[in-house]
Parts: sequence; structure tokens; C-alpha cells
Amino acid sequence: MKSRRFKWIAGAAAVAVVTLALPASAQTTYNIASIADFTGPYADIMKDLVGARRATVDWWNEEVGKGMGIKIGIKDFDGRYDAAQTASLWPGIKAELNPVAVLGVGGPDVAALQGRLPADKVPMLMSTAGYGFAWKGDPWIFNPRPTYGHEAAGFFEWFRSTRGIKGPLKVGIISSEASPAYVDIAKGAEKFAKDNPDKAEIVETIFTEVQPTDLTTQVGRLIRKGVQVIDIQTNTAAVVATKRALQALGKADIPIMMSSHNGLIASGKAVGGMKDLEGDYEVYGMAVPTEQKTKAHDFHQMVVAKYKSQATWSVASVMGYNQTLVALRAIEAAARKVGADKVTGEAVRTALLTTPISADQTFSILPNLTYTNEAPFPVKGLTVNVATIKDGKYVIAAENVPVPTIAKW
Amino acid sequence: MDPAGIFATSFARDAALVRTRPQQIALALFLIFLLALPILFGPRLLAISTLILISSVIVLGLQVTTGYAGQINLGQAAFMGVGAYTTGFLATKLGFPFWLTIPLGGCSAAVFGFIFGLSAVRIKGFYLALTTIAAQALFHFFVLNLPWFGGSNGLTLDPASLFGFAFATDISIYYLCLAVAALMTFGAYGMVRGRYGRAFVAVRDDDVAAGIMGIDVVAIKATAFLVGAFYAGVGGGLWAYFVRFVAVDQFTLFNSIWFIAMIIVGGMGSITGALVGVVVIKCIQEAFVSLGPSVVSQFPSIGGDVVFSLMNVFLGSVIAAFLIFEPRGLMHRWNILKRSYRTWPFPY
Repeated sequence: MKSRRFKWIAGAAAVAVVTLALPASAQTTYNIASIADFTGPYADIMKDLVGARRATVDWWNEEVGKGMGIKIGIKDFDGRYDAAQTASLWPGIKAELNPVAVLGVGGPDVAALQGRLPADKVPMLMSTAGYGFAWKGDPWIFNPRPTYGHEAAGFFEWFRSTRGIKGPLKVGIISSEASPAYVDIAKGAEKFAKDNPDKAEIVETIFTEVQPTDLTTQVGRLIRKGVQVIDIQTNTAAVVATKRALQALGKADIPIMMSSHNGLIASGKAVGGMKDLEGDYEVYGMAVPTEQKTKAHDFHQMVVAKYKSQATWSVASVMGYNQTLVALRAIEAAARKVGADKVTGEAVRTALLTTPISADQTFSILPNLTYTNEAPFPVKGLTVNVATIKDGKYVIAAENVPVPTIAKW
Repeated sequence: MDPAGIFATSFARDAALVRTRPQQIALALFLIFLLALPILFGPRLLAISTLILISSVIVLGLQVTTGYAGQINLGQAAFMGVGAYTTGFLATKLGFPFWLTIPLGGCSAAVFGFIFGLSAVRIKGFYLALTTIAAQALFHFFVLNLPWFGGSNGLTLDPASLFGFAFATDISIYYLCLAVAALMTFGAYGMVRGRYGRAFVAVRDDDVAAGIMGIDVVAIKATAFLVGAFYAGVGGGLWAYFVRFVAVDQFTLFNSIWFIAMIIVGGMGSITGALVGVVVIKCIQEAFVSLGPSVVSQFPSIGGDVVFSLMNVFLGSVIAAFLIFEPRGLMHRWNILKRSYRTWPFPY
């Protein structure tokens, strides 16, 4: 009798265990490697960037992945913004995580892994704009934004039409040969001007030291050549030196155009106050982190409230959101194509190349994205957003400004 | 200094690098350890080891130029870059095999280094340091503006291959680096113990006296740069095949300073010291990289920027401490310990 009762209890317990275990076993876990820079030159913005990545994964796991039977794990690795470091980390990452996607920080990660990823069949998602030198077909590294040259060209067109400039916009570029990336950025804008002489004219590209302190002579030369906008997509030091030169020369009304990594907030802090940047601009192909109510800002506030994100609303967090959302949407698309339990890095890459990602899917943090096999970034249908300082306040000047086509340089 | 009872009874014995049975056993065990390393450790440690091997080759060259010949060199990363770019150019544009591209990379770096070595004939110390910094700047300028090196695009390489076997895996590239590093280390030991090595030391200690003794000081100084840059070029070639992408910003002045730090910590004027310095500095760097994220996640209030500063402060302190308390590096301390052990309980 006792034995029969025991069998019943044991049987019921077994059924209960199997039933409880079913949902768990139905969920497949995939990993994303999150390369960060905790001990390198960008350590100060990692809290926001990595915080945004983690919050986005938490949100996706809870609100999308659960329904699909997929859980994403994310682990941070310190690449130190150093190609040697990332190269030494990668074999360990691959063995430990077997990731289906990698989130990168910048150029050193690209340099270290671009030779490895095609063989290892893992795509890497960046958060920055693309580069001309990385503009190659059959990509395994993807940028959610076009090149810095494309972003600048979008601004030139918008600025020209906004100001009602009839002839070509006279642009001065301030760059540095310290980094090949900076040289490439200048080349992109030059290519646009060369192919569109009726739209833009580069009056001069000035290569200075990487952290210039005084650019009065060089900026004076630009002024004499009738410059209408100064393009600086290198760093905040160049913005500060140019602004000081413009002020010294009594031409502070000539606007400076910046990018995301040396934008208005960062340069404003460096120059001593936002009011000094009144009428200047920043441009990039992702949401602008102003305090205005936007879908992107709503998404940020939602993950902060619901998923206890530590990230603040900044350019760095927008970058963290953009790359993670692209990675997760690609995983989603791959799972739909090959099955939730058969997602691989290769499937994620194929999904990226074959499935457009809409602006709605990224909460308008990014515009509509359609990747093709010809470039690591979408080459058509892109838009950029422009921000400015108006009455001392950081505000959006224009949204969804179309990016013109630029031939490869 | 040999242990008591060890006497060289032949020239071959006197010239031998490994002089005692325990030394032979220790070396054999060390080589077995290096060969078995891919089996013993995971991919992460294997990749670190590969980087240590590549850095060792470069730092050995710096040890010859600076540690032995006393010529300050802050352009070793540029010489490495010249080797990497030459290797990349020959492999991608001309299709040369790796066994040719790596030595040719070394040779091109040697020529570049030799040019700066000539300036060492007339200047020394602070001024020579500035000249070698110019090598760094010139390398940057040439690579970005000469048409053969891809400019800002850099160069992408296929894996090194030999008779159809591609060194594409972490293990195979480790063994390739190990073989080259072993060969270069053997060469360095041989050279510094030979005629050139003695001439290097003589020039380092007093170049006027060396000249009076009949040493061609001009040739020796230029040779020191030539040899040092050759090593850097070979290291650069290995780097190119390890990462398979070469870009100008991989070879910065900051890297050159790290290389100097490695010979300071290991010990100037010691081949073993150079190797020890590389291992110590790389291990400290890797420890920070591994611990950094954990510290930041455990104590978010500290912030990544503080951890970054801490790393630089710590490494800077290590170098400063060595310069103050043990300017002759870890090898000197090791030699004192060894001598004390051998003469114990007698102090002489």
C-alpha cells in the first residue's frame, strides 16, 4: 500500500517537474559579446553606452524574446580601444560565449576583427558612422549610420536650402592627419563637393595637430575665402580652438558643424558654456538626445523606469541603444527565418542583409535601414537629424533630413 | 657567474649559452611548456601569449639598440609599423609568401632604422630621443600619403600559408610566432655575446674610449639601430599576420613608450630581461583589462574613467619605482638572488 502511494507521489512529482521545466527548456539562450572601453580613452562614456546596451537587452528579453522563446545573454569585455587588446580578447570571447553578434566601440575593434569575423561567422554591429576605408562589399561589420561624409553632405544640403544659398555652400574643413579615420572623414566631404560643384565647395581642408590650441591663422584664411560653414568631425579640442579663433576674428556667426562624438554638449562643456555655441550645429544619423519629447526619448525613459537602466539620456546612450536594437532586430528576423533554436551568427548576418529594419522597430533612434551586400552601412534612403543651440538651449533643428548619394572614394 | 665547480674546459663549453645540466633541464622544460601551451590554456591566454611573443621580438630589438648600445629609441613602434606595412604590401600587392614577406619587412624596417641610426653618430641623449620621435611622425606621414600603403584605408591580409597550410587558427599563428620568436631570441643571445655585442656595450659605456680602442663607433651606432629596427620589422610582420589588417594608428608613440617600459622593468642590457619585461607589463595590462569591468560593475560609483586613470597611474608608478629603486630591472634583482644562493653562506 505504502509502496503504491509512493509511486503515485513520485509520478506526480515527475510530471510536475517536467511541466515546470517545459517553458524553460523551450527558451533558447544566445549570447552577444559587448566590447567596451572601460580602461581606455572613452572610459568616461561607457556607463551610458554599456548601460544602454544592457537595458535594451533586458527590455527585449522581457517584451520580445519571451514570446519567441529566446533569451539573449550579454557580457562585457574591455577592448581598451586598442586593436591589440581586442585581438587578444577575441579568441576567448568566441570560445567562452559563442556569440551570435558582437557590439563594437570603434575603429580599433574593426581593425582587430575585420579579418577574423568572416571566418568565425559572427557579425559585429557598430554604433558610429561608417568610414570610406571600410566601404567594402560582403560585410561582416555593420554601421547603423552612413559615413561621416554622408552625414556632413546631408547637413550641407539642409543648411543651403534653409539659408536660401543660391550657389554652392562654401565649406571649410578642419581635420587632422593624426588618425586615418579623420583623414577619411575629410575625404568623404571632399568627394561630395567634387561630384556636386553646384552644391558645395570646399574652400580648404586644414590639417592641424590632433589637439589644436590656436587656429586663428587657419580660420582667418577660411574667412578670407568666404567660408559659410566650418565642418569639424574630429574632436572637441578642434571645435574649441576654432570657436575661439572665430570669436577673436569677430566672426562668431559663422556656424560650426560637429558630429556625435564631438557634439554640442561635449564641445559646449569644453568651450566653457553652451551659449558660446549658439547657432552651431551637430549632425548624425540617429536620434538627438535633447529633452524634447520624441519616440526615442520615450523609449529611454521607459527602460530607465521599467528596467532600472543606469544610462542617462546622452549621445553615448543613443549609440548604445542604436547598435543593440539593430542586433536584436536582426536576431529576431533570423529566428523567424531559421527557427528560434537555430540562430547562428551567419543567420543573423543574412537576416541583416535581407530584412529591412524600420524606424518604428528602433523607436526612431535610427531611420529606416536597408542593408545590402555592397556596403557595411545602408547606402540609400538614409536620413540625418540636426541639432543646434537656440537661446542657450540644446534643441532639434531638423529631423529626417535626407542624405544625398555619394560615390565611393 | 657559474656555480662552484663548473669550469669551461673547452672553447665550445666556454661559449655555450646553456652551461649546466640544471640550466639545460630548465630550458627543456620551458620549451615543452611553450609547445604545450595551446593544450594547457584556453583561447584567451593563447591569444595573450601570441601577443607576448610578438612584443618579445620587438622589445628584443629595442634591447639591442637601447639596452646594449645605449642609443635611446622612441621610434620602435614606427619601425614595427614599417615592417608590418612592408609585409602587408608584399603579401597583398605582390603575392609574396610569408616566409619572404616577414624577413623583407624586417629588412625594410632595418633600412628605415639605419637612416635614423646615422643621426646617432652626431647626437645623443635627449636630442637623439627627439630624432627617433621624428621617425614616428615621418612613418605616419609617409603611410598616409604614399600611394602604395592604402593611405587611411590600411591593408588587409590573408592568413600566412605554407604549402597550402594556412596559419588561420589561433593555435597555428601561435606556433608561427613561437618559432620566429625562438629564432630571434637565439639570434639576439648570439649577437650580444659576440663581437658586435661587446662593441655595443663598449660604445654604450663610453663611446670616446670605444673609438680609441679601435671600435668603429659610427658603424656600431648605426648597426645597433639597424638590428633593433630589423627585429621591430619582423615583429611588425608577425603582427600583420596575427591581426590581418594593418593601419597606421596601430603603431603609435604610446606603443614605443610601452616598449621602453618593458626593458626598464625587465632590465636594460639583458636579453632575458627584455623577455621578462614583456611578460610582466603584458600581464599587468591584462590583469587590469580583466579586473576593470568587474570593478566597475561592483562599484559603479567609481566609474570607468577612474579605473582607466588608475591603470595608467599604476603602470607609471611601476616604471618610476623601477627607475628609482631598481634601475637595472628585475633581471638584476634575479642575478643578485642567484649569486647569493650560489655563494651562501659566504657573501663572496
